[in-house]
Amino acid sequence: MKTDSRQSPSTYWRWFPASFALAGIILFIFATFGPPASSSGFASALKGFFQSAAPEYVNDKAHYRMLPGPGSWLFAFVLGMALGGFIGGRTLKIPVRDIPEIWEQKFGNSRIKRYAATFTGGFLILFGARLAGGCTLGLFISGSSQLAISGLYFGVVIFAVAMITARMVYGKAGKETQS
Amino acid sequence: MIAKIWLGLFSGIAFGFVIQRVGATNANVMARAHLMIDSDIPKFMLTAVALSAIGLFGLQAADVGRTLILPTSIVATGLAAVIFGIGWGLAGYCPGTAWAAVGEGRMDAIFALLGGLAGTAVFAQFHEQLVPLLYDPTNVGQISLADWLGGKAVAVAVIAIGFGLCVWGIGKIWEN
Repeated sequence: MKTDSRQSPSTYWRWFPASFALAGIILFIFATFGPPASSSGFASALKGFFQSAAPEYVNDKAHYRMLPGPGSWLFAFVLGMALGGFIGGRTLKIPVRDIPEIWEQKFGNSRIKRYAATFTGGFLILFGARLAGGCTLGLFISGSSQLAISGLYFGVVIFAVAMITARMVYGKAGKETQS
Repeated sequence: MIAKIWLGLFSGIAFGFVIQRVGATNANVMARAHLMIDSDIPKFMLTAVALSAIGLFGLQAADVGRTLILPTSIVATGLAAVIFGIGWGLAGYCPGTAWAAVGEGRMDAIFALLGGLAGTAVFAQFHEQLVPLLYDPTNVGQISLADWLGGKAVAVAVIAIGFGLCVWGIGKIWEN
């Protein structure tokens, strides 16, 4: 039997106290920086890359002009997210998998298939986030905390579409993995 | 400037750690949330937003911090959300969780991150064409619920109660 992260779900924090921890961090960010955001970190990273590879291109493109490069809060934040994930992963006894269980049950253990799917998914979430001006954090969470209609509107639609998409991707396989 | 970078790094570490600890960086948990099997992550997200809205109301009353309301473009915000939702449902990662999941050592998240860089690069390339075409014509400005309801306190109460009801509803409907 394959390892299943749901064998030890109790090792994940319970959602209610965890939501207080996250809200505390969000408020700390509002107080010390401003609205938290993560999709901008991707653009900052790319801006840094193009600044050394093709500086003319960066000056030419509005999207890079409007965002800071990697020497910024925005890029430090996403880098910190990776560090936080690293520390979290090293200190929790839940096996880290390259292919999620539910995906493996439906599509098998082909790494190429899974990586192609996450590459495509990653492309879509960032293309969408850059068009809207923010992601789950930068638009939905920070927007809704500020009572912004844009955040609430974005939030309702991303949840609805993600739920429909997951149903189309996994079909009945989802229910079969019930623990 | 250096202080801002340290603050960003510290905030990111704390944020990444908490979302890892609650299971949001696990694409299996996220898929089960989207399939209405496991309700913990949506309840966690919505509660955090409701608490943040209340806390931010307090911060603003004390004149602490900085806020910035993003504009609503009926077409672009909606279309972007549809594209985003397809990617989120397919991969099980969003931009923030992808970074934390990479740190956690998930190989599929590395590809989500690479795909994200590609998506950003493509959007940035066509920003000058796409924004006037999709965003600007239906941009209704930096509207907020406080404008609609005639006051911040009322709007915060509506958000807190509304999100609270959503959490309650999700708990009832999911896992059934």
